[in-house]
Amino acid sequence: MNERSRDTGQRAIVFVLRYGSLAATLLMALGLAIMLSHGAGTAHDAPPHVSLARLWVGAIGFEGDEIAECGILLMLLTPISRVVAAVGVFLARREYKYVLVSLGVLAVVLVSIGLALGA
Amino acid sequence: MLGFRNRLKSLDWTWFKFTELLLLGIVAGGVGSLTGIGGGLIITPILTLVYGVPIHQAIGTSLCCVIATSSGAAASYVEEHLTDIRLGMTLELATTMGAVGGSLLAAHLSREVLAVLFAVMLSYAGVSMVRQALRGNTPEPQGADSYAVRHLPAGLAGSGAAGVLSGLLGVGGGPIKVPLMYLVMGIPFKVATATSNFMIGVTAAASAFVYYSHGDIRPLITAPTAVGVYVGAGLGTHLMRRTPSRWLIMLFSCVMFYFALSMVWESLHGGFPR
Repeated sequence: MNERSRDTGQRAIVFVLRYGSLAATLLMALGLAIMLSHGAGTAHDAPPHVSLARLWVGAIGFEGDEIAECGILLMLLTPISRVVAAVGVFLARREYKYVLVSLGVLAVVLVSIGLALGA
Repeated sequence: MLGFRNRLKSLDWTWFKFTELLLLGIVAGGVGSLTGIGGGLIITPILTLVYGVPIHQAIGTSLCCVIATSSGAAASYVEEHLTDIRLGMTLELATTMGAVGGSLLAAHLSREVLAVLFAVMLSYAGVSMVRQALRGNTPEPQGADSYAVRHLPAGLAGSGAAGVLSGLLGVGGGPIKVPLMYLVMGIPFKVATATSNFMIGVTAAASAFVYYSHGDIRPLITAPTAVGVYVGAGLGTHLMRRTPSRWLIMLFSCVMFYFALSMVWESLHGGFPR
């Protein structure tokens, strides 16, 4: 495995980390700006029902709360995306031991999320 | 004074309040990215004690901010070849499995007793690291081949324990994993913090989704704090390049002692959410 492929793999992980979190942060900032310009209520209002459909409708309708929440959700997904990127990089480098390790991490995280959400 | 505190606690939204949370995030993100511990231990107590945010919402916000710190800082550290991705993934496997175990054990263990034990361990690690720094035994990392990973089985066991504690106490794995990598596994301090930054987001992700599904990650509180954290994490990575490891170790040790005190405080005041 040569230095060039090592750098390519590293750049892939950097890309996922940097632009995933940047996109999430920009969405949150945009949502906040919209909420503040419309005069958001108090933070102690009853939490809305968590629903992807509500998020989608709200984001299309340029609702600040839903756009910010989309950014939060995207931020929560960035750790999973970095593990997926690591799997791809190790696979490309033929470092199969670390492919298995990364897949193990991904599996445990996804299973624990699924179990917790289902509880 | 009482009127000011009441206004703070009402969290009615103004640009002033938004700016406060943004600044809180910047400080937490900067400290978190420099020390590899995520910044949540700064955010949670301030949200609960100063703003009166319910503990579950504070933890939800904190977990999102740990992910923001991790994602914001890790890109730069990976680019600068500070992060040991292979070691990070290997230790993270043990941590995530430990976190699952911790959640299963939660009903059977006293969190207050664990918190005190955790505080003692943190204090001991903090003292050890200060002694290393005072001796001048803090080499700067010279690239991936400049060090050899020692005592990997101990590192895996420690990471598993970090995961258990993470699941039981709602803390990040950084306060255990950074000293574990530095003191036990022979990893240079900056590599340890960079690798921890890479991992803590993954550790936080599983819990964060649970809090999100319960509606405990509120955009009005989380979004400005997380935006600030992302900015702070970026600033922290610039500072990391210019700051000698010795000073970072001192900062980390101060944070460890503060964390130990907060663990004891929470155990005495029943602060761990059920």
